[in-house]
Amino acid sequence: MSTEAAVKSNSPAGQLYERVRNHGVDFFVSVPCSLLGEVIEILETDEDVTYTPVTREEEGIGILAGAYLAGRRPAIVMQNSGYGNIVNAVCSLTNYYNIPIVMLVSHRGSAGERIDAQVPMGDAVQGVMEASGVKCISVESPGDLDSVDEGIDWAITNEKSIAFLFPFSFWQDAESYVPEHR
Amino acid sequence: MRRYEATDEILKAIGDELVICNIGHPSQEIFKLRDRPENFYMFGSMGLSSSIGLGVAMAQDRKVIALDGDGSVTMNMGTLATIGLVRPKNYMLIIIDNKAYGSTGFQRSFTADNLRLEDVATGSGVEKVVVITEQDQIEPTISGLLKEDGPHVVVIKCEPGMPEGIGVIPIDGIAVRNRFMEAAKSDG
Repeated sequence: MSTEAAVKSNSPAGQLYERVRNHGVDFFVSVPCSLLGEVIEILETDEDVTYTPVTREEEGIGILAGAYLAGRRPAIVMQNSGYGNIVNAVCSLTNYYNIPIVMLVSHRGSAGERIDAQVPMGDAVQGVMEASGVKCISVESPGDLDSVDEGIDWAITNEKSIAFLFPFSFWQDAESYVPEHR
Repeated sequence: MRRYEATDEILKAIGDELVICNIGHPSQEIFKLRDRPENFYMFGSMGLSSSIGLGVAMAQDRKVIALDGDGSVTMNMGTLATIGLVRPKNYMLIIIDNKAYGSTGFQRSFTADNLRLEDVATGSGVEKVVVITEQDQIEPTISGLLKEDGPHVVVIKCEPGMPEGIGVIPIDGIAVRNRFMEAAKSDG
């Protein structure tokens, strides 16, 4: 089915996905997170994009780099813990060769987290992103999605990667959407 | 047969395919043997040659060959699971298995002992896995496989070592990128 048909609701996930697609992002990889379940369901049904799950985020950065070299506009969907798995690939592949990757990152360890082991990487992730040369924008609610538009425009124009962090508050904002799991 | 001799035979079989070249000495040897805009030389991100090639193959229709090594594939072994899932017809992964981490001083790798990457590829759902052990079989085998639909995983068993006098690649990363992207735009 098409992107329009794959996005079934005006949920935070649906709104986010439509924004990203409107910028011509057409090639996705993902590693699961409970917060990203709806985004991944959309990716599995949207035949207007190229998509595969990957075994580990670092592999995903390699695949997306290849997609960009072949003229596509790539994005990774992952949890913030996954950023810890891609730092070298970001520095020595995508940053080094000016390959812009859009990173849609659920932010575990943010306010509302119930598993304390998620907190250390949740606290560290923005600093790790900045130290590894990736601009990072936290999107606190669906009302802030204009920052995604601006950020993707900036990334494409400058051929630099950009990461958007989506904390619990983003996913819980819409009245119609109650996550089944955290 | 070392990687250098195996690479020379592989390159004889290659026509207009897009080629991803593994980090370090493998890229330097390919540059010396046959530089071309369709070669993407990796200067970092050890382990990701197969993944970069998979992304290029998924993104467009031209045939793509990822030239990789046993140490690098071992570092990113999940790549074989993803190749087996996606199964792109236009993709060939060639693993030069010299049982060593060549670029760092030829320390023994896992394939010198317990690991059979061809079995991992088969177990990942890749149907066309070919092992080559003789130098004179490389060019005819790969030429034949390139006429078929893939994906293929080809494992070439070699000895460690490399020739003297292989220098660094005198092109910077952005230039490598730009000419590869331009070459990938055409239909080949």
